[in-house]
Amino acid sequence: MQANKKWPRAILLMDLNAFFASVEQRDFPELRGKPVAITNGDQGSAMITCSYEARKFGLKTGMRLWEARKRCPDLIVQPSRHKAYSAASKVVMQALQKVTPDIEIFSVDEAFLDVTNCQSLHGTPEKMARMVKDIIFEVSGLLCSVGVSGDKTTAKYAAGVQKPDGLTVILPWEAEKRLQEVPVTQLCGIGPKVGQFLANYGVLRCKDMKNIPMNVLSKRYGNMGRRIWLMCQGKDPEPVCTKIEDPKSVGHGKVLPPGTRNEKIILNYFFRMSDMVAERMRKYGMRAQSYHISYLSEAGRSGGKYRLVVPEHDGQHIFHLCRYMLDHHWSGEVVKQIQVTAIDPQPGDTQIDLFAAPDEKREKLHTVVDQVNKRFGDSRKIGPGMLQKKY
Amino acid sequence: MEFTITREHLLKQIQPVAGVSDKKKTLAVLANILIVVENSRLSLIGSDLEIELIMMSQLEGDFIAGEVTTPADKLLDICRNLPETSLISFKLDDDKLTVRSGGSRFSLSTLPAADFPTIQGSSPKITINLPQNQFKQLIYGSQFAMAQQDVRYYLNGMLFEADRESLRMIATDGHRLAVTHSKQHAAGDAHGDFHIILPRKAISELYRLLQDEDMALQIGLDDNHIRITGAGFVFIAKLIDGRFPDYKRVLPQGGERIIEVDRDLLKQGLSRAAILSSEKHRGVRLQLEPGWMRIIANNPEQEEAEEVLELDYKGDNFEIGFNASYLLDVLNTVPPGGVKLTLQDANCSALIESQVETASLKSVYVVMPLRL
Repeated sequence: MQANKKWPRAILLMDLNAFFASVEQRDFPELRGKPVAITNGDQGSAMITCSYEARKFGLKTGMRLWEARKRCPDLIVQPSRHKAYSAASKVVMQALQKVTPDIEIFSVDEAFLDVTNCQSLHGTPEKMARMVKDIIFEVSGLLCSVGVSGDKTTAKYAAGVQKPDGLTVILPWEAEKRLQEVPVTQLCGIGPKVGQFLANYGVLRCKDMKNIPMNVLSKRYGNMGRRIWLMCQGKDPEPVCTKIEDPKSVGHGKVLPPGTRNEKIILNYFFRMSDMVAERMRKYGMRAQSYHISYLSEAGRSGGKYRLVVPEHDGQHIFHLCRYMLDHHWSGEVVKQIQVTAIDPQPGDTQIDLFAAPDEKREKLHTVVDQVNKRFGDSRKIGPGMLQKKY
Repeated sequence: MEFTITREHLLKQIQPVAGVSDKKKTLAVLANILIVVENSRLSLIGSDLEIELIMMSQLEGDFIAGEVTTPADKLLDICRNLPETSLISFKLDDDKLTVRSGGSRFSLSTLPAADFPTIQGSSPKITINLPQNQFKQLIYGSQFAMAQQDVRYYLNGMLFEADRESLRMIATDGHRLAVTHSKQHAAGDAHGDFHIILPRKAISELYRLLQDEDMALQIGLDDNHIRITGAGFVFIAKLIDGRFPDYKRVLPQGGERIIEVDRDLLKQGLSRAAILSSEKHRGVRLQLEPGWMRIIANNPEQEEAEEVLELDYKGDNFEIGFNASYLLDVLNTVPPGGVKLTLQDANCSALIESQVETASLKSVYVVMPLRL
């Protein structure tokens, strides 16, 4: 009946409000209506997120706890429970399937929905946005903000306009006008570096983008540049990507206790990071040959790229690279943070090597360790190295 | 320095020399070629410190002796772009090299010949004489299996070894292995056993340089260098100092599943199936039944290819996976005709041999499977 009013493209962005904190408030009623900060496990010294009640005091993600407490003396600190969050996320993402199968899980608490083809079935995009909010509340008891527009970037911007529990619709044909005065760096995908590049060309707000030709961006950033040029005009062509891609890198980093300069302790942290990276690769069924291994000190970041003989997913061997890096770069200074990242992990233990016979004992050990860790929680009770003496 | 030469003659000399010269410009003079004129002989020399190539030819007409270096790529480009059969004259004035031909004139920059580093090998401990075409065939049979930028640096090259029975070239990248050996010794030459590793770049430059003819070639070895002397050229390369893996250990012994098939039949089937294999591993499944082979390929886009081949196989029903490129590399190298594949089980290496008898050389290939 209103066929002529159908949008040519209709994209929704669903953003769960203060996700981790909301899950805590949902599960522990005594926290409701109170300022709550979440830290990384029991040992975290910085907030990874906080509730809206806490945000009123000016608290932000990444703030140190002592600073947060100074601003908000009644702050309740909760250690994170990642299992609970991923369970809640899974429930939400699965429930969204009731609206459309074209879903891109953008992060643990955000998803894009392409509802272009559902307009005859469910009605207007705005109606579908309400549907999303209702469904999510029904299955999880959580609130979310939804942005609705004709492309991903504008939908994402719209979702941020009203928080928490918001719903913002930007009609696709009004997107360009609505974005006009928005600083370009507020759009998802334009970081400080690109922002600086654009500022050099006098592009500060979205409306300025029209003043430069597209090829200025495409020459520097390729296809991504073309996309940036279009998205500032409410014409982001990026499709909602429903396929889950293989990770491009797998990395873990850790901030060390202040003043750490004991080699044994530093190596111990590297050992744990190596194990975590290896375990995650095993979970994905991937292996990597190259690793970025580095540490942060007063003088900046040191380290480099190191290669194994063949692609692997064994924490022990990654750890050997860490030790090698430390031997070559480190001269006793205080280490603030360490980082181990596997570069370009590849699927599989598929190609068999002529000379490096697979170590079946270690493969078995990995399987057991992964099973134990899966069963007894995410606080990382054991690593393969700790069990190894028995072999 | 002054001399005149025909374009075709010069081009044939410059091309291999420019290939050797170092484009990465670690040392400015290495991007140049050294030109030496003496006793009516012209020598062109290129080097990247690892490899050095000297091309020599006889000059006709008048000349003035001298030596200088000039940019290799520019000289090659000039030479290429001059009309065919043109006569090119060179003249060194102070520090400029003037190149003239017909109505063209080029003034090239130079660097002193004394700055050009040449590889100083010691006198050879071992000398081998063998025909050029035979050495070329030895390289040809194995070169595709060399590793590329592997951390195991000794795999980025080719093992050249000899004993009383034969000369052998061995290459491997850890996933497949190629061994090519001469059936009998060249010219009854008496020399000791040796095992040396030639770097990858040396192999590819050498392969281009060698001709398919029965011309004499002398190979001299000292501890660190190989020196190959042929008609009109001397090729010197530094050897890779490392321990090549014990390849004999991984040559499969026995194996009950034997497939005999025409090279082209298998090659074409694999090439077609591989179109729909995943780009990363190029994996194909070979399903064997007595008298048949089915080649199946899948990719992440859920597309599938199936090829059914009739061939000679008498074993049980069996399935094994391979990187199709590895099999195709072998099939592209062996001569047309029958090939024999010997398999043990799905996790063990496959042995591939040609069934065509050749006079002087024999190759065996080993390919490791993919886990299914």
